[in-house]
Amino acid sequence: MAIFILGTGCISPQETAQGGPLLAAPREYEQVRLATVDPDYKQWIDVKQIRRMSRVVKMGVGAANLSLEAAGITAPDAIITGTAYGCLDDTGVFLTKMVHQQEEMLTPTAFIQSTHNTVGGQIALLLGCNGYNNTFVHRGFSFENALLDAIMILKEGSAQHILAGGLDEITNYSHQLLSRFGIYKKTPVKTMELLNSPDTGTIAGEGAAFFTLGTTRGPGTVAMLSGVSTLYKPLWEGEVIGHIMKFLEDNNYTPADIDLIVTGRNGDIDQDEIYEEVAEALFPEHAEACFKHLCGEYPTAAGFGVWMANAIIAEQKVPEAAAFFGRAPKKIKNILIYNHHQGTHHSLVLLTAC
Amino acid sequence: MSDLKAQIIEQLNLQEITPENIGNDQTLFSKDGLGLDSIDALELIVLLQQHYNIRIANPEEGPKIFHSVRSMAEYITANQTAKA
Repeated sequence: MAIFILGTGCISPQETAQGGPLLAAPREYEQVRLATVDPDYKQWIDVKQIRRMSRVVKMGVGAANLSLEAAGITAPDAIITGTAYGCLDDTGVFLTKMVHQQEEMLTPTAFIQSTHNTVGGQIALLLGCNGYNNTFVHRGFSFENALLDAIMILKEGSAQHILAGGLDEITNYSHQLLSRFGIYKKTPVKTMELLNSPDTGTIAGEGAAFFTLGTTRGPGTVAMLSGVSTLYKPLWEGEVIGHIMKFLEDNNYTPADIDLIVTGRNGDIDQDEIYEEVAEALFPEHAEACFKHLCGEYPTAAGFGVWMANAIIAEQKVPEAAAFFGRAPKKIKNILIYNHHQGTHHSLVLLTAC
Repeated sequence: MSDLKAQIIEQLNLQEITPENIGNDQTLFSKDGLGLDSIDALELIVLLQQHYNIRIANPEEGPKIFHSVRSMAEYITANQTAKA
């Protein structure tokens, strides 16, 4: 059974919420932390409700609405979200107040809004959707597991249209903490030069990407979600290469069938090594596009990659800002998105034009 | 009452509303008033504790106390006087 992408929505550090050609005017930054370009959320959320929503909730609701609008669907049968960090901002507010006020007189809003499934819940409340609602909090697999769950439910036949997506935000607290682990570069770097960076560390990012999925194609459908697979903590690069081969075989593809690979290179020389090895072993002549210099690194960044790949299929063109190696064929039919987060969470998503 | 209105706006993060927009006798929880909800009621209880050190002993008094800014102000004045 084929799973079709009926509509997509993305809010990111690029102007992805505005529509128009993909990355027509890419935003270039010179910093180690990218923030989303926020649309006017009041077009989707009532003023009385928006006052309680933190940024990540708003970006989730926004991306979900963009996806549903593109699909022409007002009421999905299920809502599935993936987020590693959840609603960090309100968690920070709540914990800070807990400390400062000796665990007394805590305000309810920050507590209510601090749980990981707040975003999925808010989307459901706004849509009046009483169907299946689940949130996956699986670090670098959160988005992929949301997709896998959606695929399984659609294949079971218990839903016709599912809204699935991934999102994460970065806050001052989390950025400070993650910086201590040496994840990010010490000095600002131009984002369009990030992927050629000679040292370790990447740039922090955030965003939300939602996909309306169904078993029959819609008017805006350009691609099928042909496969999703995850690999946790591979022991060596050969395991990743073997996993990709097996994934392609399971979907009746060979590396030669892939027209474009979209990789999660993030400018960290150590973390990008595996992409080099995979490309050399399986896709030496293939065109490669990248996305983390555009959206930054975060656990659900693959959502941006899948969103971008779907748009590439729609336009049959790799935008200059995303191109990394080679030239894609004139007809782009199959795109393999290979991403890893922190070297531990490796994932594959296969899109096929239809 | 203007200070109380500013505190309510801050506590409830009421966007695009200024103290001047809230009438002294405007109902807080009805749709034709400010349109607040049950979560806001909890926030207002916390506001009374934080700013005025007043705890509402009897929850059944809530609707009367939080009817309007004036009723809140009167309750605060009465309870602060009682404490003094």
